[in-house]
Amino acid sequence: MSTVPEQHDSRHPTFKQYVTIAIILFAITIVEFLIILPTDWRGQGWTIAPLVILSGLKFAIVIMFYMHLKFDAPMFTVVFLAGLALSFAVGVAVIGLFDVFTPSPRAYAAERAQPYEGYHPPEDKPASVATAPAVAPTVAAPSGSQELPPTVAAVIQTGSGSAGGGDAEAGAAVFTGKGQCFTCHTLEGVEGASGILGPPLDGIGTAGATRKAGLSAEAYILESINDPDVFIVEGCMTGANTPCAPGVMAPIVGAAGLTDGDIADVVAFLLTKH
Amino acid sequence: MAQHRASGPPTPSGATQHTEEHATTTGLSHRKLLMWLFLGSDCLFFGTLIATYMVYRGQSLVGPYPVDIIDVPITTISTFVLLCSSFAMVQALAATNRDDQRGIKIWLLATAFLGAIFIAFQVYEFNEFRAHGLHIGTNLFGSTFFTLTGFHGAHVTLGIIWLLGLAWVSRSGRLNPSTAEDVELAGLYWHFVDIVWIVIFTLVYLIGGFDSGPVAEAASAIPSALGLVA
Repeated sequence: MSTVPEQHDSRHPTFKQYVTIAIILFAITIVEFLIILPTDWRGQGWTIAPLVILSGLKFAIVIMFYMHLKFDAPMFTVVFLAGLALSFAVGVAVIGLFDVFTPSPRAYAAERAQPYEGYHPPEDKPASVATAPAVAPTVAAPSGSQELPPTVAAVIQTGSGSAGGGDAEAGAAVFTGKGQCFTCHTLEGVEGASGILGPPLDGIGTAGATRKAGLSAEAYILESINDPDVFIVEGCMTGANTPCAPGVMAPIVGAAGLTDGDIADVVAFLLTKH
Repeated sequence: MAQHRASGPPTPSGATQHTEEHATTTGLSHRKLLMWLFLGSDCLFFGTLIATYMVYRGQSLVGPYPVDIIDVPITTISTFVLLCSSFAMVQALAATNRDDQRGIKIWLLATAFLGAIFIAFQVYEFNEFRAHGLHIGTNLFGSTFFTLTGFHGAHVTLGIIWLLGLAWVSRSGRLNPSTAEDVELAGLYWHFVDIVWIVIFTLVYLIGGFDSGPVAEAASAIPSALGLVA
């Protein structure tokens, strides 16, 4: 071994080579972006392998050329790769451990969820974590944390009222889109509405008026979306033929992030189902 | 292993040439070896943060979820900016090696400027997330996301300060081929921050950026619900 720092400058890439490397890195990033561009491909399992390989390629190019490991003393590569390999091993071990013991992460989290100390559940609502139905443990999230919008509270108190003149056509789009209602409810005439975690909604525009004394169909549907656990009709059965349970729908609706306008549209849409 | 080799018994030649200013037992610059050791250990630092993110992925019980707020196109642009900054950094080192005083300043400042743009994107992103109700304590996604990307942003910020410091001392012509290692070390750090982002961008944005909430989970639970009643 020599005793003075070696000069490797002569072996550094030229300006032109650096530009080529930059273009390659850009190109790889563009390919990565194209992989997730089609909506159908996003989050699909098969995209993981190409994305990981492409980013690994970028990683290797940067450390080999920009960081000169290809041209520098092997000792630097050894030191760095040792840390990288150790880091990779630790990561794989930790992720592997959790994957083995918690095959359904959200169910695991839901089972162990502790009430946030700043959170005070209203007294008239059931503790959803404790009463989570066996049929859908994965959605047993703490519910009831959202306060009712004033308009809904007014509807519930007066037993009448309007959801604000929603647009039924827009409501149909929310039903199968943003609101994801169809993943849990069947509804005749709606393509893909085959969910069985909630009760079927056929004829709710008529039946809604008979469900709760003093509530019109409109007010009843509005209340059932905004606060599903306030009232569950006796004998309500889900599409899976199990009793409708509290605590299932509220967190899902909350997660969908629907605006008052969206909900009004859905109500208008459901009112057309007689 | 590498440490042991680096600090092992001095070779005969090393022992006799300690008068040489940069003489080392390995024949390698101590500063550069230390930098690579630090980067190796920083791999562990980010490795644990990334592993933590992946472990808690999909465990959030309340929104916003990644699919609601992660903006992949915007982040692709900021990723490009960071890649550009790495290119500027190698040009800064090349300028130092050929004693191009003007080039040194321009490329160092360009690297710092591109890094600052990346940070600006991150500030914008964090503010957007906050506006959508995602705080570090909102859910597991928020906790792990802000911790991981926040520490990365802190690394970039430190790198910007380092580059600006180098640009400052370069005014007197102190950066030249004989002190090129000063620039090279900053460059190694800067490129490392870039490769960490390459990993984060892939795992958190391209792969994990479309993770959804319990709605999709409920949909996937339907088969098991069927199994229960069958």
